[in-house]
Amino acid sequence: MANFWEKLEEKLFNFKNARYQEKFILEPGNEDKTEDKGEGKAEDKGEAKGQAKGEGEEKALDKAKDADQDKGREQEKDQAGDKDKEQNQAAAGEKEDKERDADQDKNKLKKPRKPLPLHKQKEKRSGKPEDLYVSMDLETNREYLNKIYALSKNKDMIIRDFYIATKPPLKAFLIFIDGLTDKNIINNDILKSLMVLIDEGEIVEERGRLAEYVMEHLLPGHDVALLDQYRSILDLVNYGNTAIFIEGCDKSLVIETKGWDRRGVGIPQTEEVIFGPHEAFNETLRSNTGLIRKALRNEKLITEIQKIGSRTNVDVAIMYIDDLANPKLVEEVKHRIASIKTDYIGVAGILEQFIEDAPFKLAPQVLTTERPDRVVSFLVEGHVAIIVDGSAQALIVPVTMFSLLHSPEDYYLRVPYGNFLRVLRVLALFITLLTPGLYVSVVNFHQEMIPTELLLAIAAAHVIVPFPTIFELFVMEFAFELIREAGVRVPGVIGNTIGIVGALILGQAAAQAGIISPILIIVVAITGLASFAIPNYSISFGLRFIRFVFTILAAFFGFFGISGGLFLFLVTMVSMKSFGVPFLAPVGPPVKTEPDVVLRGPVWSMEKRVDYLTPLDEIRQPKISRGWIKNTRGGKQQ
Amino acid sequence: MNKIRIGYSEMTAVLVILIGMKAFIGYPRMITEHGATAGWLLPIASGALALGLWLIIARLLERFPGKPLTAITELLLGPGLGIAVNLIMFCYFLVTTGLLLRIFSESVILSLLPETPLSAIAVFYLFGAWYALYYGVEALARSSYIALVYIGIGLVTSLAALFPYYDFRMIFPVMGFGFGSFLKSSVFEISSFGEVIALAYLVSYFSSSDRAKIKKIGVWSMGVVILLFTSMVTVYLMVLPYPTSTETFVPIYQLYRSIFLGHYVQRVEAVFVIFAAFTAIMRIAIGLFVTLQILKDTLKIPYYRPLLGLFSLLLFTIAFTPQNIVETVKLESLFSMYYGGAITFGLPLLLCAIAFLGGKGEKAK
Repeated sequence: MANFWEKLEEKLFNFKNARYQEKFILEPGNEDKTEDKGEGKAEDKGEAKGQAKGEGEEKALDKAKDADQDKGREQEKDQAGDKDKEQNQAAAGEKEDKERDADQDKNKLKKPRKPLPLHKQKEKRSGKPEDLYVSMDLETNREYLNKIYALSKNKDMIIRDFYIATKPPLKAFLIFIDGLTDKNIINNDILKSLMVLIDEGEIVEERGRLAEYVMEHLLPGHDVALLDQYRSILDLVNYGNTAIFIEGCDKSLVIETKGWDRRGVGIPQTEEVIFGPHEAFNETLRSNTGLIRKALRNEKLITEIQKIGSRTNVDVAIMYIDDLANPKLVEEVKHRIASIKTDYIGVAGILEQFIEDAPFKLAPQVLTTERPDRVVSFLVEGHVAIIVDGSAQALIVPVTMFSLLHSPEDYYLRVPYGNFLRVLRVLALFITLLTPGLYVSVVNFHQEMIPTELLLAIAAAHVIVPFPTIFELFVMEFAFELIREAGVRVPGVIGNTIGIVGALILGQAAAQAGIISPILIIVVAITGLASFAIPNYSISFGLRFIRFVFTILAAFFGFFGISGGLFLFLVTMVSMKSFGVPFLAPVGPPVKTEPDVVLRGPVWSMEKRVDYLTPLDEIRQPKISRGWIKNTRGGKQQ
Repeated sequence: MNKIRIGYSEMTAVLVILIGMKAFIGYPRMITEHGATAGWLLPIASGALALGLWLIIARLLERFPGKPLTAITELLLGPGLGIAVNLIMFCYFLVTTGLLLRIFSESVILSLLPETPLSAIAVFYLFGAWYALYYGVEALARSSYIALVYIGIGLVTSLAALFPYYDFRMIFPVMGFGFGSFLKSSVFEISSFGEVIALAYLVSYFSSSDRAKIKKIGVWSMGVVILLFTSMVTVYLMVLPYPTSTETFVPIYQLYRSIFLGHYVQRVEAVFVIFAAFTAIMRIAIGLFVTLQILKDTLKIPYYRPLLGLFSLLLFTIAFTPQNIVETVKLESLFSMYYGGAITFGLPLLLCAIAFLGGKGEKAK
């Protein structure tokens, strides 16, 4: 049965080949010359084809196919680490040059490569049509694409047939995804250029290099790649590019036509500042990398692209400054991302979970930011930024506890104001963590600490409450978390209303009903407010959770429990690492640093970069960075 | 070869907590018992003596670069006797840590949680120690380094808050029971600094560049502890004069209770006890670590982690062996602060004598 199908496909091929020979004008002797040339080639493919004459055509063709596939595998290997579209283009260009060198008689039409029967290709390769090579036969390519994209069901895949207005006209079709592409580019820059704007007398002289000819002479697109493997073509088409297949060409032209609806550069939602830029990332990778490049105009800024997610095939940009970031750190980041084997990574948050060091620890080990200016400030320190296409946040690695507690505004304000904010934030950190626990401890175990009048007030407020303090506290904390969660989920104006209704009415009603004591509402409110002062959303989450641990410990052991909790907290924090950098650096372990840990010094006093990153360039600015100062003493002060 | 490295400052912090934690329990009481009004001078005298002994021991370590005291002991005394001596040291650290666990637990009952079961407090302490050691000595050392600053701030603040009660006359007469008694007490009190010997067992945690600084780490840590002990005993004597000073179980708690800075700053002992309890957990963790380290090196075990659970249980058992708190305090005072020097300084000095007289050691050759 299998033999029957093989023979049938062989016949079909011979028939198509005959039609192909008829359609194209072949000069007598050209075919022979091509064959002769094939014998003289040193390359595997040429040798295999050359042997075809002596060993019988079928056998030789099989060898040629093997050589093709070996070549394909080599290309795959080459391209495995780098599937960037531009590099594909470069690779295609290199291949083109090779072929050009090898092919001395450019004006001769090559013998069409026989497309391998599908079932044979499946056996020899991975079994996926995506791994095939572009055929010279247009209908075969259409058949492949039909199979790959299931065109009968896939209604947003568009195939448009047309003739390139050359002499003779070249039959072609283009394929793109509706909704991802800019139709103006397709209509005006591709179709119009190829069908209308061409001089009708245009004669394609380099018939062996049809695709190259079209690319070089007929297509005005700024970003055109010449590819022969379906995998590479599909990756680009799936990302909003348009592929053109031409009769007689075993390569496809892929033109950049991305043009989906996208959100513009908005304002930051969770990292707002009063002073400083108000730009935030959006969901488009190139837009985000562009925002960073706009602020960091340096030719050493590198943007490497990796694809992750076997089904989503999302681009991930790894950005760093080449002569600054520690190469080991860059390699580690690239290694971690490249090693991920999963089908779906859609946003930065998911990638973060794949690359962080300790997934079950409550503090994040990756900094997430939506601000390009913040990314730039980290890049110039020697950090590495990771941006996932489709995500409006960038990830920064490595990160320390202190950088999570810093806000960009600290640096934009003058030293005293910036430090004031930082002190306030440190207080907020401790209030968030400890206030409920301290309240429970004092009320339950250490009443002697409270002045008598206050103690009487607390007791009077509590006397009508039928529940123990810890129960009251958990009820209120739970209600507060509910309000917060509901406020986030419920849209805009209603969300705010829920917050007000929840906080004011619910609290007051609970106090009046004698379920909760009024002082406890104050405690919970202060704790909640303090948690909002933590600039990093992720660590704020962690602190909210740890707060419950402290409260439980306080309910059992009072201040002793809090003391033990602090010890456990410290040990946990100190044992954490972010991409090899201790989480509490530069304090634990102590390393050399400029005055920018809890408090910060003047910007002109930060002469060196942080030591724990071991950047390639340690010096940020000279000792006397303010050149206008006279009688300097170490650049510090007059 | 051990890949974990502890830095210079971190190891100093570890030693300060290991030796200095006595200040938070019975040390001021015991020192005034032996020295009366001269109690505040005793830490200086005994500390200076202990420092001298440490310098001699450090020379022994220099003769065997990169080798911990466990290995040196076996080299000098042979495997049989060497292991026996190492096990004595191991037992010393095990028992003192166990007794400290009981005292710390009793202190919490007395000062903060009178109705909580003693065993619950002890389990909480042990859990903290186990947790820290599970994450490794690196985490413990870094925590000690970070915490020491805050512990210091808490201590200085509390001692300063007692300023209204300072009575400088109470530290006189300077020689207390007399010079002879002062000298005798100074010699015996070197035991209070005996834990410095732990440094000799942790040599493998130093980088090659830091190994040369072992002597310096010992000197620095003992210097800080001498300052801590002296200031603590001085304030204690000035606020609670002799002989009242000999009657308190936890002197520092008594001091904290005395703080009164107006209507709103009074009875703040609970706040300061947070620092004391924090340091106590750290002390137990460090004590347990040193114990396990000595055992690990003696028995040539590659990791100490599998022993953690077992030895936590053993510490718990030792802590509850004394009948009552009085017996525990008596045992701990005698063992750790009075006669313990015979083990902590005596045995290493014996090794020094063998090495120096016999001309042994890599450097000597």
